[in-house]
Amino acid sequence: MNRSSPPALACWLLQHFLPIPNRGPMLGDLIEEYAIRAESTSPSAAARWFWSQAFRSVPLMIVSSRRAGGWLTSIVIALSVYIGVASFKLAIGVMVAKLVAPGQTGHIVLNAVEFLMATAVGGCIAARIRRGATIFLALLVMFTVAILIELKLCTIPVPWWYQFGFLSLGPLAVLIAPAIIERLTLRAEGRTS
Amino acid sequence: MKRGELLGSLEHVILLALLRLDGSAHGMMVRREIEERTGRNVSIGAVYATLERLEMKGYVSSSIGEPTPERGGRAKRLFRLQAAGRRALQVSEQTIRSMTAGLSDRWEAI
Repeated sequence: MNRSSPPALACWLLQHFLPIPNRGPMLGDLIEEYAIRAESTSPSAAARWFWSQAFRSVPLMIVSSRRAGGWLTSIVIALSVYIGVASFKLAIGVMVAKLVAPGQTGHIVLNAVEFLMATAVGGCIAARIRRGATIFLALLVMFTVAILIELKLCTIPVPWWYQFGFLSLGPLAVLIAPAIIERLTLRAEGRTS
Repeated sequence: MKRGELLGSLEHVILLALLRLDGSAHGMMVRREIEERTGRNVSIGAVYATLERLEMKGYVSSSIGEPTPERGGRAKRLFRLQAAGRRALQVSEQTIRSMTAGLSDRWEAI
């Protein structure tokens, strides 16, 4: 990194994740201001500023262009929601494991309920940000469940239909929950007007 | 600007920055103007997202310039304040002036 070149990784991030219409002008603006800052302060301070701009601008631009953006935006939204929902499911799983011992019927049932609730909530969040993102989220859920089944991570003996239920109902919950919520909202609005 | 519709705080600041910059500027100039005058380190993403919203409302227009080497071969997007934008600023200023009239003693009390 010399005095006039900003951090390459931050540039790569901006180059790949900024929405296409503003990619060139925004990156050009940041490079121009980076050079000014590197001269007036120091290259390391300018690099810190550049990184902060990259981290703050990318999510904002992705969200603001959610209606005009392409499939890459949908994937980024789906991935973000997936990470959030997976963390939520993990936290709930840990709490439930403290209340009900793993292996008991209650635990197996609760595990399925948690999973369906988490996927449904994820579907609603993704649909609220961008409708197209729900398809990618459903695929992500299906892919994860398939990998978990294949790796045989579940130590408790469960029937095949239990695993199949996760594989089919998880992605379905992602796709159907937003439609149900939308219908209920429309019905409620119809009642009030 | 529709009756009763007010500018958002960043929209207001960005339109004022454009007005200060003789009615036209690119994103970086707007961002720097805001930072120098208010001390607010606004992200370039927030500036562009707001400028795009203002463009959709017809308050600003934009055009792409020529790529330059100091920008890594990337073109500038020049934003221009439109007559509707100036009117929106006037309406916003009038609203703030009438809402704050006679409140100076109350501010001191808070």
